[in-house]
Amino acid sequence: MSDLPVTGWVGLLARLVVGGVWIAAGAVKLPDPYASKTAVAAYDVLPASWVSPVGLLLPPLEVVIGLVLVAGLFTRWAAVASSVLLVLFVVGIAQAWARGLTIDCGCFGGGGYDPDAAAKYPWEIARDVGLLALSAALVWLGPRTRWSLDGLLFGSARASARTEPREGA
Amino acid sequence: MASKREKAAERAERAAQLRREQQAAERRRTLLAVGGGVLAVLVLLGGTLAYTLSQDSTSDIVAESAGESAYGVTIGPDDAPHEIVIYEDFLCPFCGQLEAATRDDLAELAEAGNVQVEYRPYELLSGIGDYSRRATNAFAVVLEAEGPEVAKVFHDLLFEEQPSESGPFPSDEDLIDLAVEAGADEDAVTDGIVGLSQADWVDGATQAARDAGIQGTPTVLLDGEVLQPASVDDLADQMISGVE
Repeated sequence: MSDLPVTGWVGLLARLVVGGVWIAAGAVKLPDPYASKTAVAAYDVLPASWVSPVGLLLPPLEVVIGLVLVAGLFTRWAAVASSVLLVLFVVGIAQAWARGLTIDCGCFGGGGYDPDAAAKYPWEIARDVGLLALSAALVWLGPRTRWSLDGLLFGSARASARTEPREGA
Repeated sequence: MASKREKAAERAERAAQLRREQQAAERRRTLLAVGGGVLAVLVLLGGTLAYTLSQDSTSDIVAESAGESAYGVTIGPDDAPHEIVIYEDFLCPFCGQLEAATRDDLAELAEAGNVQVEYRPYELLSGIGDYSRRATNAFAVVLEAEGPEVAKVFHDLLFEEQPSESGPFPSDEDLIDLAVEAGADEDAVTDGIVGLSQADWVDGATQAARDAGIQGTPTVLLDGEVLQPASVDDLADQMISGVE
């Protein structure tokens, strides 16, 4: 732990920011599965039979990705999942924008039709790209961030691996 | 020398043995941690999923009963044992599919007195050009000028001739031709269709739908409950089987 370079702190900050956003975005949607399905349907991308399961699964998935990121558990895998979801969201918003659909992105609840959507798309995409950059950084850093469960659970394995030769000598 | 070498070999062997045991313990610990972590993730996922599944948020939708809105056309008697309310947009493709799948059955069931159905068109897809607005306005013009029966026929024709979301969209002249085909008097509807004379009706219908909590089309209420279908076909099945 103590030998982590300054990127460890940056990684911690990235985990808290990205994880916090995921938790907030997912938690606000959990009590309203109907709105979540409507939001997914509004993108008009998935076949009708996929809309319900995806609408139901996304909010729990977002919350769990957020929780494991904040906790620093399986950081690399969580960051990969975060990146994949964000890429899908950016593509979804971009295609809605390109096709002239005016939909609420449903990013933090809500969803469906929104007359002012066109003005919000650039900001929504910029936000998601920013989060994507942080997620990508976490994919690279993996377990090497401060105050992570990864460090607690798996860090000692690496530490003892490093000290072993001295013990054996 | 020999005993020294033996002792050294023995020490090395003991050290190697210790190292192997440490490594095995370390592996067990890591495996346990990974297993525990995976288990925790699965429990979290299952818990949140169970929670969201237990929430019925459709109760947030509070729509007037069939036949009671100022912005719709109704078929079937007031004393029918079932009622269906359909929020729709003349441009929404799923609405067009739903119309094609249910219109004849619903008309028969309404005729037989099983159900009262109110169709509530509103302007959802205003982002895709002005067709949704013009079509909804034309519907209101026909409803005002010729009454609900002609308006229902016009409504059906609008869905039968529904354009793709990517166009090309019917012109005002096309809408007038359809209204005439539905049985409207050309002179009675032309000015209203061309001049968007029912723009207030369109805005009122759209506001009413939003006030009711409607977020997308088609949204169907069967006896006051929002239907949550897996697909358009499933929605059609739920509607028809619910009132038969």
